Amino acid sequence: MIRDITLGQFIPGKGVIHRMDARVKILLLIAFISLIFCAFNFASLGLVTAAVVAVILLSGISPKMYFKSLRMIIIIILITSVLNIFYGTGTPIFEWGFIKITLSGIFRAIFVTVRIVCLILVSSCLTFTTSPTDLTDALERLMKPLKIFRVKVHEIAMMMTIALRFVPTLLEETDKIMSAQKARGADMESGGLIKKVKALTPVLIPLFVSAFRRAYELAVAMECRCYRGGDGRTRMKVLHMKRIDWICIVFTALLLAGVILCNIFLPTVF
Amino acid sequence: MSIIEVKNLSYVYGANTPFEKKAVDNLSVSVNKGEVIGLIGHTGSGKSTFVQMLNGLLRPTSGQVFLDGADIWAKPKEIRKIRFRVGMVFQYPEYQLFDETVYKDISFGPANQGLSPDEIDSKVRRAAKFTGISDELLDKSPFDLSGGEKRRAAIAGIIAMDPDVLVLDEPTAGLDPMGRNTLLAQIMQYHKQRKNTIFFVSHSMEDISRVADRIMVMNKGRLEMFDTPRKVFSEVERLGKMGLRVPQVSKITSELACLGYDIPEGILTVEQAFSALLSLLKKEGKL
Amino acid sequence: MDFISAENVRFSYEEGTKNVLNGVNIKIKRGEFVALLGHNGCGKSTMAKMFNAMLTPSFGKVFVDGMDTSVEDDVYNIRRKVGLVLQNPDNQLVASIIEEDVAFGPENLGLTPEEIRRRVDEALKAVDMYDYRTHAPHKLSGGQKQRVAIAGILAMQPDCIVFDEPTAMLDPRGREEVLSTIKTLRDRGITIVLITHYMDEAVMADRVIVMDSGNVLTEGTPVEVFSQVNLLKKHGLDVPQATELAYKLLGAGVKFDKMPLDESECVSMLREVLA
Repeated sequence: MIRDITLGQFIPGKGVIHRMDARVKILLLIAFISLIFCAFNFASLGLVTAAVVAVILLSGISPKMYFKSLRMIIIIILITSVLNIFYGTGTPIFEWGFIKITLSGIFRAIFVTVRIVCLILVSSCLTFTTSPTDLTDALERLMKPLKIFRVKVHEIAMMMTIALRFVPTLLEETDKIMSAQKARGADMESGGLIKKVKALTPVLIPLFVSAFRRAYELAVAMECRCYRGGDGRTRMKVLHMKRIDWICIVFTALLLAGVILCNIFLPTVF
Repeated sequence: MSIIEVKNLSYVYGANTPFEKKAVDNLSVSVNKGEVIGLIGHTGSGKSTFVQMLNGLLRPTSGQVFLDGADIWAKPKEIRKIRFRVGMVFQYPEYQLFDETVYKDISFGPANQGLSPDEIDSKVRRAAKFTGISDELLDKSPFDLSGGEKRRAAIAGIIAMDPDVLVLDEPTAGLDPMGRNTLLAQIMQYHKQRKNTIFFVSHSMEDISRVADRIMVMNKGRLEMFDTPRKVFSEVERLGKMGLRVPQVSKITSELACLGYDIPEGILTVEQAFSALLSLLKKEGKL
Repeated sequence: MDFISAENVRFSYEEGTKNVLNGVNIKIKRGEFVALLGHNGCGKSTMAKMFNAMLTPSFGKVFVDGMDTSVEDDVYNIRRKVGLVLQNPDNQLVASIIEEDVAFGPENLGLTPEEIRRRVDEALKAVDMYDYRTHAPHKLSGGQKQRVAIAGILAMQPDCIVFDEPTAMLDPRGREEVLSTIKTLRDRGITIVLITHYMDEAVMADRVIVMDSGNVLTEGTPVEVFSQVNLLKKHGLDVPQATELAYKLLGAGVKFDKMPLDESECVSMLREVLA
């Protein structure tokens, strides 16, 4: 039931992408996303798409998983692409009443669809191949420069770590409390929306009380373990840039150059 | 007459997945009205899954549960009614308290039953009396009570539904000896007056031996033994293989019996052991 | 010199409310295994938090290795020396991977990554959880979680570990796991304070201190303490069944040298009497 919801779809593995430094992965993801939006003609789009396919194959994760993540937003993809068909300019190739379909409209739709799909695929690749802890760790380190703007980088990362740790615990607890209230005759299935929301009170209040109790106890436990905030704290796992990371960076740079060249020397589609 | 009868009951978690696990495996048992049944078995033996099928919180994968002769899943839409008749006190029940006052919290169950305000009031007060919750405590917020009081208030919330069968899952877990003794005495007092059937799940063999008429021993989802405490606790070795202990005095006397001393089997309490040893010592001329 | 010394400690959570501790004097030597026994609300858990400066006395002093717990600057050093393991294993684990959780303490101490790695591996091996190092905590049993929590303290290499009812929420198997872990720690020379209301756990200790309503009721070796069956019962505490049985036989005129504390001691005592 409620326990089946998984957060951060990490799939353990030993592939090339798995071994990469999480910081590099995040930066390259950002680079890829910008590339996807910088592709203005079929050649550059093709280049980016080919690169995305290569990344997916390298990740060593079954394509089924990627299809699953695409399926979740299939409706959004369909709506945006269909809408884009009608927004083209130029001579219509098909006309029926006020509906006009132009060649540029079709191109537009193809572009948008390919972009969204690529976007989803590379982002899923990051979450599939990076453990949540590595991800928060990498984010903490990448955001470090923000400290000069007084952003509490360490605290934010710590909060994310604790949240990840306690999500399964609290889900399990929700299950338990629901069973306990059902055993007292609580009716959570029938009735309208308002009745259902009301029926949740006996679950939510104990859940909050328990979450606060846990938070308090955790704070005590952390203090007992000499926690004093981020200052003076070292880490067991140090993120290292390895050869594989440099190779990936070089390839992404080449891809960037390719996309720019295509954009300059070939005509833009729209 | 049997109040609960279970036939070929099985429960499988995660059926048709790689994590498939048979928690309860073809279990049949019949329990008489007014009996106190102790249920023992180590963690993962299936006892929690089993008791959750008694009040329809879990629906058996196969097999049936009969309450007073009627299959509880005959009308799945009316399964809530079964939960009022088979009251279930979960482990650490104090974590389910939620209402503004202890009184309101205890009345949650009876109110769900759809009783009239007068009936609810009398049931709440009766349940509070059984569990030693004073009138003064009834008006307090449940979150202001002490640990032991919270536990008793939560149990009162189930007793207030006036169930024919009461299931208690580790009711004394985490309590100190005094709290444990008080709670056990209150439960037994309640049982004596109400004469209903009680399932008592516990890891504490001392507690079980004090309250149970018969003991169900579960292991790997199966019912291994179902007999009187005397019989069950005389099987020290067989229980040991399942990772279960017996009360200290049972072990001491059965070891002496093994050494050839004339001492009766199935001793459960310090008093029994004391009188058995006294007569043995007198017989041997050591006293 | 005593490693921990509590002198005339009084404490109340809010000013003007009833004292939880009423002038407690406790001394603990280096390498000693002390059990602190008492029913819920007797002040034993409050006392536990005094030992690592989570709480400081309203009146009186607590010294740890010569350092006063009420001196703000020493708090960090005191917590390095005295680790505290709490009751609920779930609420002590910070990270979603076992080894990263164990690393949390050493990381706070600012050690080098190599040193942290070494300590984490060693601590996990000491509690026999090394094979689970990459697992997630929520998939473990209660006993396993509590052992990970112990490893998290152990990795800080404290001189003393205070256990505040570490087995209260565990099943018998989890209890056994944790108790045998505590025994191995004792054998490594770590000073241990075990707070509990289970009598059969207190039997393991070198010395038992019984608390009642904020005072020390009695103290001594387990045999000395548990022989006072009537006193303990009067204060709502149990004694092991084996001891109670022997005590009753003693009252009936049976003579033996040593009070038995568990089943096997009781059986051998009875065999001697019957021989």
